[in-house]
Amino acid sequence: MSGLWEFLHQRGPTILECLGQHVYLTVIAMALAIGLAVPLGLVLTRTRRAATPVIAAIGVIQTLPSLALVGLMVPLLGAGPKACITALFLYALLPIVRNTYTGVMGVEPAMIEAARGMGMTSSQILFRIELPLSVPVIMAGIRTSTIICVGIATLGGIVNAGGLGLLIWIGIDRSNDALIYEGAIPAMGLALLLDGLLALGERAFTPKGFQLARQEDREAV
Amino acid sequence: MKALRVLFVAIVVGVIAVAVWFGTRGGTGSIVIGGKIFTEQTIIGEMAALLIEHHAGLSVERKFHLATNLPMKMLRKGELDLYLDYTGTGYVDILGKPYKQEPPVEIYQYVKKVYPEKFNAEWLSPLGFKNTYTLTMRRKHAEELGVEKISDLVAHKNRLKAAFDPAFLDRDDGYPGLCKAYGFEFTQSPGQLVIGLMYKQCKNGQVDVIDAFSTDGRIAKFDLKVLEDDKRFFPPYDAAFVVRGEILRKYPKVREALELLAGKISNRTMQELNRAVDEEGRTEGEVAQEFLKSEGLIP
Repeated sequence: MSGLWEFLHQRGPTILECLGQHVYLTVIAMALAIGLAVPLGLVLTRTRRAATPVIAAIGVIQTLPSLALVGLMVPLLGAGPKACITALFLYALLPIVRNTYTGVMGVEPAMIEAARGMGMTSSQILFRIELPLSVPVIMAGIRTSTIICVGIATLGGIVNAGGLGLLIWIGIDRSNDALIYEGAIPAMGLALLLDGLLALGERAFTPKGFQLARQEDREAV
Repeated sequence: MKALRVLFVAIVVGVIAVAVWFGTRGGTGSIVIGGKIFTEQTIIGEMAALLIEHHAGLSVERKFHLATNLPMKMLRKGELDLYLDYTGTGYVDILGKPYKQEPPVEIYQYVKKVYPEKFNAEWLSPLGFKNTYTLTMRRKHAEELGVEKISDLVAHKNRLKAAFDPAFLDRDDGYPGLCKAYGFEFTQSPGQLVIGLMYKQCKNGQVDVIDAFSTDGRIAKFDLKVLEDDKRFFPPYDAAFVVRGEILRKYPKVREALELLAGKISNRTMQELNRAVDEEGRTEGEVAQEFLKSEGLIP
């Protein structure tokens, strides 16, 4: 136990510093990605013809190996957090756009029919019916992106963006496994924590009636 | 339900605020020191930082652990002001000159002459150590066989077992070029091992000859002998600071501070300093400070 205390006392500040940078890279990239991808997904449900090509185009970005994507950002944006955040942002788009689109498209047509019958306008239907009902699917996309981002942000370590990846890279260079763990374990913790936070958001924003229905479904099974 | 939403939004706002704070704070040093992602670069970078703080009275920002090709790119863009580089890297990789066994002094003079016009940057005096590829053996084993230099290996090529890291086996300035330059190959073709394992296997006697970087702390730790490159096959990699010209004009004291290290660090010293970090787990800053104090360069 005293060994652990000593370890934290010695290495804690470094790890915390790297963790902070890691949070910075991931959270800013995710905030930007959500800000663009959710509205884009919604627009695509209104212009369905564009949906397939747009989603395919965003999908192409994701086929690019992440190491290459980060590397390619450096000549464009200079080595630093900007290059890393841009790469993470691009990587995070696809799951969110796709899930927003599929989520909204998957809403029971009968519900939309009923809403229209009640005299709701198209935007009322979107914000009161379609969006709330697709929260679980959209959130699933956001959670996937977040976990991917926490992992890829480790590449920030070699492009002057800092983060927990730095500890991992140094560990590999010195064949020092302890350093690799110092980077990897907090990264896992961060991924779990952010995922938990988003799960909370999912619960908070899923309509009550829908939650109940899902629970009944589960009980029926 | 509503309380849950408020809680969630509050946490999200909090997390974003912390993230932005972390990303935007700091970064106010007037001199930015860069470094590549290996130990000796960080140690020497810390020394440069301490010397500039003490002797030029300027604040310093550190950008260490960069991918090896980044510091020069960043220096050219003005994103960093100085870093430690190696003359061979400047000559072969950055200026694209083919190495034709020129003596180290010529390589140094060439980069020193070309950098100011081409990159508006200057090479200061070499620190003393060279970080080049070398071949090494267990010291005792080399003494038993009477091997001093790489040419001496020819007589023992049938019996010696060699192992090299993957890059060395592949590079023209690695094993293939070495064979051509020295006109021999090991009879038993060399094994391939990652660097971390290579040193241990050599020490334990599973292999006899390995490649190594001449300043690696493990050379001292495992009592290995660096063989003399008598045909000057490996380009010289004298370590020296590369500094942006603008900085030297604006702050003449930066030059004075950094020149205090000129010729002060031998290969053996660099090995010891690297070992203190890699094997004894001390921080680069500590090791740098201790060295400067012992040399009387800082109070």
